[in-house]
Amino acid sequence: MPGPRWRIHDLRVIALGVVVLLAWAAIGYRLFQVQGEDAAALSQRGVDQRLRHEEISPKRGTIYDRDGIELAVTVYGSALIADPKLIRDPALAAALLAPLIEENLADLTIKLDGDSRYVRLTGALEHTEAALLATAIEESGLDGLTLVEEPVRIYPSGSLAAPVIGLTRLDDGSGIEGIESIMDGALAGRAGERIVERDAAGRAIPQGEYLIEPSMPGSDVFLTIDREIQHTAERVLGLAIEQTGSLRGAVVVLDPSTGRILAMASLPAFDPNDRTSLLPEMLRNGAVVNVYEPGSTLKIVAVAGALEMGIVAPGTVIATPPEITIGDETFTDAADHPRIMTVADIVAKSSNVGTIEIQRLLGNERHYAFLDAFGLGRPASIDFAPESAGRLDHYTRWCRSTCGASAAIGYGIGTTPLQLAGVYAAIANGGEWVEPHVVSRIVGPNGDQITSEPRRRRVISSDTARLVRTMLQQVVEGGTGHRAVLEAFTVGGKTGTSNKFDVELGAYSADETIAWFAGMAPIDDPEIVAVVVLDAPSGQLEDGTELKFGGASAAPVFAQIAESALHQLGVAPDRG
Amino acid sequence: MTAGVLTRARGARASRIGGNTVLRPLVVFTLAVILAFFAMIYSRISLDRTAFELHQIEQEFAAQDRVHWDLRLELARLQDPKRIDAAAAGLGMVYPEQRITIEAPGVGVEPSSGTERWTASRSLLTEPDQ
Repeated sequence: MPGPRWRIHDLRVIALGVVVLLAWAAIGYRLFQVQGEDAAALSQRGVDQRLRHEEISPKRGTIYDRDGIELAVTVYGSALIADPKLIRDPALAAALLAPLIEENLADLTIKLDGDSRYVRLTGALEHTEAALLATAIEESGLDGLTLVEEPVRIYPSGSLAAPVIGLTRLDDGSGIEGIESIMDGALAGRAGERIVERDAAGRAIPQGEYLIEPSMPGSDVFLTIDREIQHTAERVLGLAIEQTGSLRGAVVVLDPSTGRILAMASLPAFDPNDRTSLLPEMLRNGAVVNVYEPGSTLKIVAVAGALEMGIVAPGTVIATPPEITIGDETFTDAADHPRIMTVADIVAKSSNVGTIEIQRLLGNERHYAFLDAFGLGRPASIDFAPESAGRLDHYTRWCRSTCGASAAIGYGIGTTPLQLAGVYAAIANGGEWVEPHVVSRIVGPNGDQITSEPRRRRVISSDTARLVRTMLQQVVEGGTGHRAVLEAFTVGGKTGTSNKFDVELGAYSADETIAWFAGMAPIDDPEIVAVVVLDAPSGQLEDGTELKFGGASAAPVFAQIAESALHQLGVAPDRG
Repeated sequence: MTAGVLTRARGARASRIGGNTVLRPLVVFTLAVILAFFAMIYSRISLDRTAFELHQIEQEFAAQDRVHWDLRLELARLQDPKRIDAAAAGLGMVYPEQRITIEAPGVGVEPSSGTERWTASRSLLTEPDQ
């Protein structure tokens, strides 16, 4: 019998079987490739697409005033980001968004029609604004628009104490001026790190977050600034600058026993929330950066030194001719006075001639020693950067003829308002200089506090300090400082008027002056010391007194600020 | 014949079930595996649900924290002396040219005992002179 014949039907079945077999073999090979050979690479690709290493920004610490009210705080806002590649109808998207974000329609359409994958449309918006925007975007169904959360630094009191607080950079949030800068290390905190799984649209997948290291929020900084006293200082100083046509001015108010700075005003200033009108000059904290010749306000150092050394007493009589010539320079007094005066009268009438005589008795070396001990010629505090050291040459570099005399009456020496406040605070504090400071304490995220004790040094004895305060009281009650009198409190202080040095001319200006007043109250146990300085005041009072003098322009500013400050601090009046 | 059929059927059943000693534990094992599988799925679903709830709570906490800081910021803004100044000026208030200080006996002085505190308080309630 012959063997089975292969029919065409059987061949087709076999061929189909071979094809199916080959197909399965191909699938099997592909499976082997994907699951075996390329498994690691494909798995890594998937991970790379999904997983993102992200930095967790730490929350910047808050700056508070002495009562714990926020002066600078970081909150989280939402910025609107667009991916133009995903926006199908830029015109429609722009028409929806333009009224909501207050942007020009044509400009916005151009931004949304670009080739970029990332266009920032707004800054950080506050909660309610962001919520409205989110609702509008969701209801419109537009793609390519995302609200991204980011921190924004807010200064709720605007320009209040702005030169002291400073401000932060918009890009990385680091401090660039003031306390924001010098305390940046404490305020900034430490960034953390995490791995986040994100989908194709960039949205975080819930439970797909793995924390590697948590962020550490920044520490909070508490200042010694009293907002009410600060506001008064700025308001009154601002009015004085306006009324006297001054170029600028500064005020420092200190607690002399602790060195705490209760107020520090420097105008013109700025609003850190509004950077559109910011000028470089506004960023300077004039109270610690601007250096001026202190004029007659510095006479008190030579007098204090001479009293401390026992060379003179308040009642010591000194010959005070109308003028005194030393070398090729002649020193005179602004007003007539008797030919002989007591030391107390010399201070009260601010006699240049009398003070020069006292300085001659003291000598350059001892005079320099007292100037140095009172804090001149070096930065007064560690809480400010930059802070000028002022100018105080070593007495060995003083010229033999006129330098001692000039130093006695506050010329040839440069001080900042803060340094001068430190001088008067030492007199108010029984002769002990205390380092002025504006940072009260730093509180870490764990609640641990860091405080530092201010530096102290004895400059003059408490008896000498008391004598000096009594003489300063006479300046106010019967001398050049009578416009600093307060009804309810006893005041002591010193006026100062120094001719402004014209750098272009290379000589002192005949008209422009630096007007000072430095004072303290109440006189027996001063609770505050305040220094006021006006740069180039002009004009006249109703009685014809020129405002270029410290007694006319700066003393009234002191009076208003001091009275308000003493009431704010709850100090009991000591005048009947 | 019927009894024989029944016997045979019973016997056959017995051989299908009781008689086959491997099959019964296999069925039990299979059922246990299926139950364990469903239990695992259920526990995984519970875990995921809890994780979602936790995530939601964290989101809510973050949102409340934002609200907290927004309120603190608003409070600081409301206490801004310049704002109060402007509001007062708008109401026609001015800074006084003269401050009058009234000294109230006992105020500002810390008495040391309850009796002293009462005496100080009573002095404030003294009838003014006619």
